[in-house]
Amino acid sequence: MNLLPNFMRLPAAMLLVLVCTQGVAANYVDLRRIEPVHGDAAAGASRAVVCVACHGPNGNAVVPTFPKLAGQRADYIYHRLVEYRNADPNAPYYVASPMPAQAQTLSDVDMRNLAAYFAAQTPTASPTITETGDEQGATLYSNGDPAKGVPPCQGCHGADANGPIITASRYLAYPMLRGQHAAYLVSRLNGYRDKQAHDSTNDFIMRGVAHMLDDGSIHAVAVWLDSLPVVDKH
Amino acid sequence: MTRSLIRFLPLACVLCAASAHADTGIGVDTWRADKLDPTGGMASQACDADGTSWLAPLQRRSPTGNLYNCAPESPRTYELGDWIYYGLIEGGYLGASGDRVALWNRYADWRRNNLVLGLLQVNLERPSDGSYVDVRASRISADDQLYQSVFGRAGAYKVQAFVRDMPNILSTDAKSIWNGVGTNNLTLPASLVPGASTPAQVAAVSAGAPLTTLGVKRSKQGLGVSTYLTPEWTAYVNLSDEERKGTRPYGGPFFFAFAFEGPPFFMQDGGVNETIKPIRDSTININGGLRYAGSQWRFDFSYSGSFYRDKYTAYDYQSPFKLSPLPVIPGAISAPLYQGQMSMEPDNDYHNLQATATRKIAWNGEISFSAAGGRMSQNDSLIPPINCQGVFGIGIGNLQVGPQNPLLYDCSKWNTTDALSQKTADMRIDTTMLDARIRLNPVSQLSLRGSVKFDRQDYRNVYLLYNPLTGQYGYPSENGTQGSIVPGEAGIFDPLTSPSALTRVRSLPLDIQTIDANAGADWRFSEKNTLGATFDFNRYEPTNRERTQIDASSFKLTWVNRSIDWLTLRVNYTYLNQTGNTYNFDPYDFTFSSSLPGYVPPAAGTPSHTVDAMRKYDMSSRDENKIDVMATFMPRDDMTLSASVRGDWNSYDAQIGRQAYDTAGATLQWDWQIAVQSTLGAYIAWDRSRLGLSNVQDQQNGAGVDPALGGANYALIGQWWANDAQRDWYAGLTFNHKFDRVRFDLNWNYLYSRGLTDYSYAGPTALAHLVGNEGPGPGNGAFPSMVYRVNSITAGVTVPVNERVALRLFDYYERGRINDWHYAGFGQGLVAGNRVYTDAGPQGYNANLIGLFVNVKL
Amino acid sequence: MGLRRCCCMLAIVLAYGLWLVPPETALAQQGKPAVAGSLPSTNLSNDVSTDPSLPRPAPGFANARVAGNPLAPEAKSVGMKTCIACHQLEADHFTHTLHALGLIAANKADPAIPVCEACHGPGSEHAKNPQAKGLIIAYTKDGGTPIDVQTRTCLTCHAGGPRDHWLGSVHQRNGLSCSDCHNPMAKFSVEGSMAKQSINDTCAQCHKDIRLQFNRRSHMPLPEGQMSCDDCHNPHGSLSSGSSLTSFPLAKTNTVNETCYQCHAEKRGPFLFEHAPVRESCLNCHTPHGSNQNTLLVAPVPFLCQQCHTQQRHPNDLQTANSLMTGKNPDERIMGRGCLTCHANIHGSNAPAGPRFHE
Repeated sequence: MNLLPNFMRLPAAMLLVLVCTQGVAANYVDLRRIEPVHGDAAAGASRAVVCVACHGPNGNAVVPTFPKLAGQRADYIYHRLVEYRNADPNAPYYVASPMPAQAQTLSDVDMRNLAAYFAAQTPTASPTITETGDEQGATLYSNGDPAKGVPPCQGCHGADANGPIITASRYLAYPMLRGQHAAYLVSRLNGYRDKQAHDSTNDFIMRGVAHMLDDGSIHAVAVWLDSLPVVDKH
Repeated sequence: MTRSLIRFLPLACVLCAASAHADTGIGVDTWRADKLDPTGGMASQACDADGTSWLAPLQRRSPTGNLYNCAPESPRTYELGDWIYYGLIEGGYLGASGDRVALWNRYADWRRNNLVLGLLQVNLERPSDGSYVDVRASRISADDQLYQSVFGRAGAYKVQAFVRDMPNILSTDAKSIWNGVGTNNLTLPASLVPGASTPAQVAAVSAGAPLTTLGVKRSKQGLGVSTYLTPEWTAYVNLSDEERKGTRPYGGPFFFAFAFEGPPFFMQDGGVNETIKPIRDSTININGGLRYAGSQWRFDFSYSGSFYRDKYTAYDYQSPFKLSPLPVIPGAISAPLYQGQMSMEPDNDYHNLQATATRKIAWNGEISFSAAGGRMSQNDSLIPPINCQGVFGIGIGNLQVGPQNPLLYDCSKWNTTDALSQKTADMRIDTTMLDARIRLNPVSQLSLRGSVKFDRQDYRNVYLLYNPLTGQYGYPSENGTQGSIVPGEAGIFDPLTSPSALTRVRSLPLDIQTIDANAGADWRFSEKNTLGATFDFNRYEPTNRERTQIDASSFKLTWVNRSIDWLTLRVNYTYLNQTGNTYNFDPYDFTFSSSLPGYVPPAAGTPSHTVDAMRKYDMSSRDENKIDVMATFMPRDDMTLSASVRGDWNSYDAQIGRQAYDTAGATLQWDWQIAVQSTLGAYIAWDRSRLGLSNVQDQQNGAGVDPALGGANYALIGQWWANDAQRDWYAGLTFNHKFDRVRFDLNWNYLYSRGLTDYSYAGPTALAHLVGNEGPGPGNGAFPSMVYRVNSITAGVTVPVNERVALRLFDYYERGRINDWHYAGFGQGLVAGNRVYTDAGPQGYNANLIGLFVNVKL
Repeated sequence: MGLRRCCCMLAIVLAYGLWLVPPETALAQQGKPAVAGSLPSTNLSNDVSTDPSLPRPAPGFANARVAGNPLAPEAKSVGMKTCIACHQLEADHFTHTLHALGLIAANKADPAIPVCEACHGPGSEHAKNPQAKGLIIAYTKDGGTPIDVQTRTCLTCHAGGPRDHWLGSVHQRNGLSCSDCHNPMAKFSVEGSMAKQSINDTCAQCHKDIRLQFNRRSHMPLPEGQMSCDDCHNPHGSLSSGSSLTSFPLAKTNTVNETCYQCHAEKRGPFLFEHAPVRESCLNCHTPHGSNQNTLLVAPVPFLCQQCHTQQRHPNDLQTANSLMTGKNPDERIMGRGCLTCHANIHGSNAPAGPRFHE
């Protein structure tokens, strides 16, 4: 039976093909056009009991390999949690991390609340600083190293390392670096340089930047950032 | 065959394969592609799923505010020594069904089911020095194909070559009564007697003739080289050769048929033949030049040459219809003419040299001088005035040439080039152009500019219509037929035998001189607001026209506003006033026999050339108001809305002639970048034009001597008015989306054109023919509307099979409707009285094209 | 060719395509992040020590230097490698453009020749504060760089030739930037570094109304991809004011007719017998982009001709539908080709018996 006029048959067949091939989206979190994250900090506090075991009371981690979360941008924390939830726990980058598993236990609302909670905390200086930052770290952060192709970190992370001024939603998830543990920063930058991090569009930016950094530079900028006195933004 | 191989020589020179010469400053050939993909290869390009930048979403906007396209996916490249290469080949099957008519196949050969090469694209790059080779090819059929190749080194040199065939199908419903279509000799079949067949006989042959396709194929090949000589000096040469081959419907006058069918004669006479012109020609275009761009000076020297050659000088045809004399002289007999001729365009040569020098001056300014000189010339062999044998004209009682038969002419005195005042045309136009312009930027907010341009066309040589064999002036009109039907209208002036014959005796040289001066200023009165004003004065001085001086002054205002973040607005308004010196309604007398010594005016006086109130629209005084508004709205980051409104109103100071020509239009276009690989766009547009004219029917059978409108001949009762109004409505939709791995595209375009020509008249004598129901006074009416309506829809899916192979399946359906009243009734037969037509006119269609393509990345 | 044969051929091509895959690792694709790593570093100290084994920079790029940015007078050059650290995707798309090919090769041969900064100006201030507008020469709507700075930067290398008369041109006066029509950052078009997929699509961004006229019944073969707006117009400016009877806006040649003769050389003549309005301007009777009439005519024949032809006898009669083949008085002056049935050589006749274009 001829239900469709001749010229309609092909488009109809094409439509059928389309319906059958609907599928999944890209395998990284696109942070270039995001909505600001809002959460209930109080509710987050109750969920944070597990987190503080590693990330310290109020998110001020004591162990330098764990990042400080206190005062970090909520958008960064939330999207990092989403990335963990999406991550392949067997990937080399995550195989030693408890976070992918932890993230599986969290609902989206939990993540937002946690993000809000940690963002509202006041960061404290690292108790474990053993080195003070030198001029090289400061210069790299402020001016980069054009000869090596290193752009200045401050372009995205703010002149005071408290994160950029938000003029568009794409900057929301750029993290604050000020006072962050040097060891954590080093391991994260190494992860970028080794091209193991590919969880978000921002990871791809950082991979390009870290590609230009040598061990000395990574160390210098991490130590310098760690040594910066924290600022209470509240 | 040899010729077709030779065509590929330039290509072979350029590594046997092809991109194009694209110079916006000189020459053509800036783009080559086909209807399958007018972008020449971008249609199959997928967007990079990662977007344009890791730093920002979607695309940025151009300064005007249009969103840039998504960045195409980067090619997979391979190494070959120190070269890298990439490319793709797309081939497949095109299945055509439905009505394969001319309108559907205009400029695209989609007539057959065919295996086609959609696209072959190969790119090689050598990163170490910036060398590259690009090859591109597409082949739909032998009539619709392109091959091109470019190689060069970025910033150093570029060599390019191409071969291209383009079809232009003009008619698919033609029926020829002649044999020899495509040649320069059209002969009647044995079933028709030349010059002695009845309309019924001709109609029978026409009805039985097979359908013929008329069209012209353009085959072009080109070669171009451009190179840097130093960082400042560059040089270029481009050469192309184009052959045109085919047929097109054309004319073939054997005098009027309409004039005799009605009262008082009621006879079939004359002959109207729509013949078929053979097209067999070639054009060689050359341009080359030197350019210098330094810190202070710039120079540009260029040469353009063009050489046109036609295989034929003329073509001959036979008219089937019988001629009879007007029954005004007892015993008159018409010469039995049937041989017609039509001259082809003459071979011609063109040279043009141009030089420009520009220097930077104070106030951030530039001053620039240009000069050009050119020549177009032709000296083609001329054909004889007539190609009959025996006699032409009217014999009284018999067809014996002699003093007893003053209306009869001997063909042998006219069918030879000895009957010409010169054997070759020897015509030439020399052109001169001088230009000076200055631009100044005294402060960044203000720019000033001015220019003066002088242009001149000098027409060299004159042709005299003089027959040294007979001592007569003029020419046998309409292949001799006019004088064979109407006594005394052979078109030949003889001071002894026909001293009152009014006919053309010389050619019309058309020298033109133009001076154009303008001055203007642009003032940026706030950071994002610019106001500009330009005054332009133009003096146009033609010779041998109704006016020898026409002055046009125009004032133009421009406002560009970007002060609102989401809007770019451009407004242009122009007022133009054209006027001139005294309008001489008849400057052409010197080209007629009335200007010859020995001319004797008829008893009633020499008929006037035309009506005195006529104002030809190019020469006429007029006022023009023109407005153009373009706005680009950016309602959201991912959306653009473009709107334009324009209007152009021309009012002509003419009682007779064009009185008004107004055009207006509006467009609205909406583009939405839904996601990186997903877009939606839509547009609607409307435009209209209205052309109003008036004319006046003469009342004294062509013998009136009074040129005055309202006089005895051009009486006001004969005046009439016509109004042609054209409307177009457009709409369209495009949608592209990637569902996981499958790309889907949808495209719909709609056009509805409607033209309505209506008329009114002061009295029925204005009419060409009386139907019988006209009143004595004014009347009006309209033609059926002229309609062209096209709906086309394309839907396609591209399904990747693996990383390198994708399948593309698409369907293109188009429905066209056309109604052109010129061809009303042609479907029922192409012969009416002593008229035979060949082209039955444009046809509507339903057509479908299915494509199944395999796209393989190399 | 039979459908069956076509399908067979198709299957063979398909099979070939499938067989090709997967590619050998030796031919592995250059991944995006690898692009940045493969780049040379920029020599900012300007102590040029050229590798003699490398070719000299191409003359077109030899004088390329870091563009001046009046909005960032303090900025210093940082080199392409630094730019690409963040702008990796842009660099990846840029790789196969002519600008990239030439500039990168020139930079290798002479490190004083910049790549990104040749057009975008020195990058140091932008890198420190990318959100501040104008610190880098941007060619976008909201990049903060004034239009005249944008165009001046392009013209540093592209002055002269077809762009000789950019200043004062209608596009310049209406505040267009080079980047309204061109986007050299990726291969958006097969030729011409256009912003859209073709020259015609690019022009249609603003001139959609003109583009749509090409959809009409008779038109130049532009929608079919056989020609472009640039075949007749020079969008960069020209000597033509567009206000005289023999010129049109942004004309590529000195007159209307010279433009048309480029493809219609047979109309050039000069003919033995000329038709005055034809010699003056083709646009007297033809509209250039598209028409509802046959052969791009401005108005239907015979009314087109009757705007001027009031001569006695047959030219000045008012024709009506009665004169059509379907009417009571079929008349060759309006049927089919109308006037042109007899006055066939209307563009000029080279026949000695052709003063009225009959032969």
